[in-house]
Amino acid sequence: MSDEQQQNAAIALAREMGLSDAAIERRQKIVGLEAADLARIAAIRDIVLPRTEPYADVFFAHLAALEEARPLLTNSSLLNKARKLKAEHLAALVSGQYGTPYVLQRIQLGLLYAKARLDTRIFLGAFHHLLHDIGADIMKYSTGDASERFEQFMSLKKVAFFDIGIIVDVLVFERERVIRQQQEAIRELSTPVLQIRDRLLLLPIIGVIDTHRARLITESLLVAIRDNRAKAVVMDVTGVAAIDSKVANHLMQTVSAARLMGATVIVTGISSAVAQSLVALGIEMTTMRTVGDLQGGLEEAEQMLGLRVVADKSALRYEAP
Amino acid sequence: MAATILKQGKVLIASIQAALSDRELIELRDAFADRVGRFRSHGVIVDVTALDVLDSFATRTLRDIAYTAKLRGATAVVVGIQPEVAFAMVQLGLSLDGIATALDLEEGMALLAGIEEDDPRAR
Repeated sequence: MSDEQQQNAAIALAREMGLSDAAIERRQKIVGLEAADLARIAAIRDIVLPRTEPYADVFFAHLAALEEARPLLTNSSLLNKARKLKAEHLAALVSGQYGTPYVLQRIQLGLLYAKARLDTRIFLGAFHHLLHDIGADIMKYSTGDASERFEQFMSLKKVAFFDIGIIVDVLVFERERVIRQQQEAIRELSTPVLQIRDRLLLLPIIGVIDTHRARLITESLLVAIRDNRAKAVVMDVTGVAAIDSKVANHLMQTVSAARLMGATVIVTGISSAVAQSLVALGIEMTTMRTVGDLQGGLEEAEQMLGLRVVADKSALRYEAP
Repeated sequence: MAATILKQGKVLIASIQAALSDRELIELRDAFADRVGRFRSHGVIVDVTALDVLDSFATRTLRDIAYTAKLRGATAVVVGIQPEVAFAMVQLGLSLDGIATALDLEEGMALLAGIEEDDPRAR
């Protein structure tokens, strides 16, 4: 990825994570970064700036000793980029400017770690090592008495914690991205509405029903009712493991909405466990037509539509093996 | 009035073409109540296909029309509720319990014809 692409990726991610100017300011407030801190950081700038390369070396030397960081260490192009960004980071750390450009730089580095599957704890360990070295140098070279030097280091640490907050958020956000994508895929795949006879739809529901999914199911069913001119719908909930009052409510809403469009919904496949828990919860589904299993539901729907399935022996064909 | 009532045999049909004000809705309700008796209608159809919203007042008026029709010996059918409207109504807790609904005008006519067949008056 080119530098510009990396920059764009960081900007996109910042937007996705909701890192607006106001949010960045809020984060600064949370770590307690104030004008006094900026002054102290300015005082130690000349100590840190010439040593950014050695500090970065400490960071990566610590990683090199850890088995868990191997994916980053063995990928030379990633490693070089990370090294470069880290040195830039250390220079920026004492720059006194911690606005959006600074945050974007942090996100770029975080994305790089995420790509190398660097765990939070590994990053924290290496970063702490680096901070230790900076602290030691401040104590050694800075002017002022010991408590002043300590305060200088603590001010720098506020910025460091500000950084950690961003990097950890990026790492977590990236890890959760996979989960979000899978959830989205499951949702899209799981609401089929099938026409099985003229004017008869089958709606098999499988898995967990939450508010969002219930909405999708209802919407796709209503559109299918209009498009197929359906008069009857068999909603099969065999694949729904548990129905609580919330889910029951969603199902009843779906049934009422379908009724408003002139279609009758028959609910099938309520297992004995589900039925008992519904009764125990005191949920009355009296407004719903329920039939024990899918076959019974289809038969009732066919009857409602004036259809009759007749066995015809003369039409029976034996397939040759 | 934005909705005119048409007479088709034993059935009265009102097709609502644009969002009606509360006053127009009441006028429609009263007109129905009057004509059901005058034409000795057996069925009433209100077509709301063109509407993209049905608020609580409109829903109540539809219910009133249906109950009034029933008291005067006719069956009311609300037809053409769009998917988005149906969804919004359910979300708002609005229902048309006890009132026949159908997908569109054709379906509504078929529904009334089916009821008519069972009706001893028609024989």
